[in-house]
Amino acid sequence: MDFSHYAPLWGEALLTALAVLVVLLGSLMKDSGKLMGYLSAAGIVAALAIVANTLTISKPAIFFFDTVSVDALSQFFKAVFLIVSLLVVIASLSKYTGKGADVYYALLLFATVGMMVVASSVDLVTLFVGFELASLSTYALAAFDKSKKNLEAAMKYFIFGSVSSAFMLFGFSLLYGMTGSTKLADIAAASLGNFGPATLVALLFVIAGFAFKMALVPFHMWAPDTYEGAPALVSAMLAAGSKKMGFAAAFRVLLIGLIALRMEWYLAFAILAAVTMTLGNLAACWQDNVRRILAYSSIAQAGYIAIGFVVVGAAYGAAPVTAFNGLAVPAAQLGIAGALLLILGHALMKTGAFIGTAQVASMVSASSEKDPDDISNYAGLAQRAPITAFCMLIFMFALAGIPPTAGYIGKFVLFSSAIYSGLLWLAVIAILNSALSLVYYLRIISYMYLKEPAGPKVSEPKGYVVALVLTLIAVVWIGVFPQSFVDWALQAAAVLLPQ
Amino acid sequence: MIPLELNILLASTMFTIGLYGLATQKNGVKLMMCIELMLNSANINLVAFSAYLPNVNGQVFALFSIALAAAEAGVGFAILIALYRLYGTIDLDNINAMRW
Repeated sequence: MDFSHYAPLWGEALLTALAVLVVLLGSLMKDSGKLMGYLSAAGIVAALAIVANTLTISKPAIFFFDTVSVDALSQFFKAVFLIVSLLVVIASLSKYTGKGADVYYALLLFATVGMMVVASSVDLVTLFVGFELASLSTYALAAFDKSKKNLEAAMKYFIFGSVSSAFMLFGFSLLYGMTGSTKLADIAAASLGNFGPATLVALLFVIAGFAFKMALVPFHMWAPDTYEGAPALVSAMLAAGSKKMGFAAAFRVLLIGLIALRMEWYLAFAILAAVTMTLGNLAACWQDNVRRILAYSSIAQAGYIAIGFVVVGAAYGAAPVTAFNGLAVPAAQLGIAGALLLILGHALMKTGAFIGTAQVASMVSASSEKDPDDISNYAGLAQRAPITAFCMLIFMFALAGIPPTAGYIGKFVLFSSAIYSGLLWLAVIAILNSALSLVYYLRIISYMYLKEPAGPKVSEPKGYVVALVLTLIAVVWIGVFPQSFVDWALQAAAVLLPQ
Repeated sequence: MIPLELNILLASTMFTIGLYGLATQKNGVKLMMCIELMLNSANINLVAFSAYLPNVNGQVFALFSIALAAAEAGVGFAILIALYRLYGTIDLDNINAMRW
């Protein structure tokens, strides 16, 4: 048989095979943790190269009876997931080397494959299977260190995650019942508007299911507890990868399958976005645990990203506007591109920030009763661990949206698209929120740079440093040379809109 | 054939019972049962629609979701067993150190 036409999907196949191989070799060989880590990193780099091959694919390639599509959008998300996963694996090389490390790397790889499947799926069954593959792997990862806090975090994450899957599945079942198909294109072709209340119920269930994963208020309760309690590197994967998977799925289902109902979901997302960013930012100001601050900040960022949905709903099919780069672009496309840029930027910044917290937690002696993520441990970090402190400084500025960083570009494109599509009130709320968010980011920075050191200088583990510096370069690179990234995001956004 | 409405009514009732149980129960195993109820109510929907349409897609979807629900239960009980070893209880009210 000739498999060559499956070439765009070899990345997924490679990572799946590698994950199985890692478990197998890990059970046969002793003390192979480090080797498995390097093997996983190499596999992810290879998968990234395969994805890079089709990064700006102009015509979607469809596989497996119209259920899997490889297009610019799917490749954008796959690149984000693979980069996050690579950074987490590199950082993990300094922490997970002993017994059981092979399982850790295998679960990370399975989670990545699940996210990649979701990014590519144009069918509800494929989407659900990918979603569950990623979710189940991350439930297990969240409990990986088996401390009391880990298990509590994992339990909460598991319960909320399963409930969200149940909501999503129920919504999917109703959609299937009304349209007779599980393919997004067929669902879009069915005249959903004629089905009345049942469609709205389905829409409600689907949005609730996705909103749990995206951690939008009021479906966010699990996020702070899970991000605080899970191992720090797993939190990085959850906030940067698993959450973005929710956005990937929601983009496909709402913007392709349920576009006929945009007047209904547009309003829901407008309210969700405004409430999410405000509540996330306000709650973050009161926290003393840095990982909890980052969790609430990622809730707030999810609120910003959700503006993308509102813009599409408001400006779908409207005439092109002349954007900042002089090109005429439809506001809806600009909105999706802004959301994608913020997704890319936030994935990088949050991965970096959580790796930074892992570094700080590793400096706190295991015997001390104190919470390893408490903000007092960050006092004088600039003298204790200068590289970590400097990287954290840049990530905090980037999260707050200060130029020239990845966070700024994403917010700039997204907020300007909101203004172009007549959503001035939402843009104003978002910009005020960005200013508010400086309160807690500056608080962390002032602890790191202005306080007396809490202890002696420490040596920084190589894995953490490499991951932090790579992330730093990427965050600044996107901020300084944004043009190619904006073009890339616009091209990916075009997939979701009628040509 | 049983009318479609009754099937959907059954599924909605099961889903609601599951949701109610999640809000009121504290025992980890009971919560798992509630989650299973919610997932299986969607399966009833899928199979009912599949028979009513008629169209085989729904039954395929239901098979996938049954397999995934089993895997989910596996992971869930693994976490519960680890919790029990550490805390000596699976009453989730006692396992709530992190809040706000």
